[in-house]
Amino acid sequence: MTEITVTVPNKLGIHARPAALIVRAAVEYESDIWISNGEEKVNAKSIMGVMTLAASGGTQVVVTAEGEDHAEAAEAVAEVIRSGFGEEML
Amino acid sequence: MLYRGIPASHGIAIGPAFIQKAQDLEHPRKTCGSPEEARGEVQRFRQAVEDVRHDLENIADSVADVVEGRQILEFLLLLLQDPLVKKDVEGIITGEGVNAEYAVSTALASVAEKFDRMSDPYLKERVADVRDVGRRVIAKLTGAEKDSLEKVGEPVVLVAVDLDPSETASLRPEQVMAFVTDMGGMTSHTTILAKGMGIPAVVGLQNITGKIDSLDTVIVDGIHGHVIVDPTREELDYYTEVKRKFTEAEDHILTESYGPAMTEDGVRVELAANIELPHEVNLVRKFNADGIGLFRTEFIRLLQKNGESEEHHFDIYDMVAREMSPKNVIVRTYDMGGDKFRTGFDHIHEANPFLGYRAVRICLDRPEEFSKQLRAILRASARGNISLMFPMVTHVDQLRRLRDLLSMVQNDLRQRKVPFDEKMKVGIMVETPATVIALDLMLPYVDFVSIGTNDLTQYTLAVDRGNPRVAELYDYFHPAVLRQIDHVVRTCHPQGKWVGICGSMAGDPLAVPLLLGFGLDELSVAPTLIPDVKKMIGVVTTHGARELARKSLDMETGLRVRALVHSYVVGKYPEILLNEDSWNTGGS
Repeated sequence: MTEITVTVPNKLGIHARPAALIVRAAVEYESDIWISNGEEKVNAKSIMGVMTLAASGGTQVVVTAEGEDHAEAAEAVAEVIRSGFGEEML
Repeated sequence: MLYRGIPASHGIAIGPAFIQKAQDLEHPRKTCGSPEEARGEVQRFRQAVEDVRHDLENIADSVADVVEGRQILEFLLLLLQDPLVKKDVEGIITGEGVNAEYAVSTALASVAEKFDRMSDPYLKERVADVRDVGRRVIAKLTGAEKDSLEKVGEPVVLVAVDLDPSETASLRPEQVMAFVTDMGGMTSHTTILAKGMGIPAVVGLQNITGKIDSLDTVIVDGIHGHVIVDPTREELDYYTEVKRKFTEAEDHILTESYGPAMTEDGVRVELAANIELPHEVNLVRKFNADGIGLFRTEFIRLLQKNGESEEHHFDIYDMVAREMSPKNVIVRTYDMGGDKFRTGFDHIHEANPFLGYRAVRICLDRPEEFSKQLRAILRASARGNISLMFPMVTHVDQLRRLRDLLSMVQNDLRQRKVPFDEKMKVGIMVETPATVIALDLMLPYVDFVSIGTNDLTQYTLAVDRGNPRVAELYDYFHPAVLRQIDHVVRTCHPQGKWVGICGSMAGDPLAVPLLLGFGLDELSVAPTLIPDVKKMIGVVTTHGARELARKSLDMETGLRVRALVHSYVVGKYPEILLNEDSWNTGGS
């Protein structure tokens, strides 16, 4: 299992478009991947889940992956978040 | 009976109505007799999802070139394959022992409700997508493929409360001659797509679905936003005639203007188009322009949510570049401020906005944000023939800073091995007297220039066109404007620099002979003006144009210049296409 803590760096946080980017990255991997924001924990391969995470800019979220390719999977999703989705940063 | 709505897309259509019933998401509950039966339902559900995925992917492949359409479909695909939804639906089927249709409707209704409660308006709108996906899956399950357009033989007027996003993206002009909806507005994506497809549309009719029955004859007047249901004999005759005239004019213009722009003595002239939204590429291709001489980008940024995102810009530039390739696309960086969208960046009231904080003056203060646009343009340059243009450069040191910033972005891309066109041409707009007079100092830093006549005229004559008390003084035939255009060409050509012109002057047929005479390398006009301008180019000889241009420089007034050109083209060019205002009145 790999766990990575990242801060959502863009102004608008994880809204629809970033959510789609996250899911597209996540479905490439075999592992189960979750993103948690405090108590809220969602499946990173679910567009519904990620969209309802309501992680605004500056929020710390934890990416967790479990499975064969857990290290790569967690890093890939964390990297998408770190990139700020090509949007305006905080 | 006549109903008034919002004219969303031009043209006239007369034909039978096809009412697209908004199928309810709700579906009756049936209990399964046994666990085997429930497992069968799970299988049926999985198969239906698979079938819908297949349909959506087919639609995505056939959606011609519309960025919005693809994005909508991709989002639907993600929704469809969402593991949470799958778990919910299958949980309901096996947990409650019920039919798949009921499980899908229940699960998606709760998702839709969740979205509906969100405060973000963009997420709220996604409710339509959730319902869309749900309806498609249920239609597969019941076998009652929704009363689908795909099965309609003759072309129809599509009437709906609102079009399902996936349905809109897959509409074909062969199936649908127009559409008419209860909801929607000028900027809704259905409007944008209709324009891209070139079919008439009237939206925002409140309750038109309640007023029309299937197969009623309907007249759709997309020019005025009128919809006539069950027209009288007279109305039918009248609109048949209007439709004939409209089609004839369009056909005439198209057949006559499809070939290359060429002067009477056979000299090829480069005639490009100005655009501001990606779907306008369809128009540009329809009118067969030689390229895009001005792609205004501030609209992309300001009209859309996340309009500042690099990916969003890249998607659009990439699409336009690929669609136009190998023809050139000149992308102009943000020109915010002035009269356009004062809300774009933090806005502070200014006494003289046109002399204030606009365009590169803003962008240079926000290098990080501006770099995103530059990166998007550079990345797209690898995918087609793109040039980059900076607006409102008045000082050489601004130009140096812009080039430095561009180099930094290029270096960064090189290091990250992101492909871009190393030979991408970089130019500036010439739209202030300062730029004209000191152009020789700017030229070492650019590959080309493009004259923006709207700003050049207002800055030269010190006239605000929006102020009715002085608007009459605004005149691009004024000797001061003409002499500057002449000066720009004479400064650039010996240095081997190319000169285009992209203001409204280029689209005024009466100005065209002069512009040719001054020796401009390219005219760029609104796509719909291409036929008129092309026709004018065709009646002018190179020698005649040169003479006109030479003589115009010695005229005292704009009115005299117009009279000069008018006497040259009279009898060769249809009077009706000449802008009467610019010919009869205008400044002196």
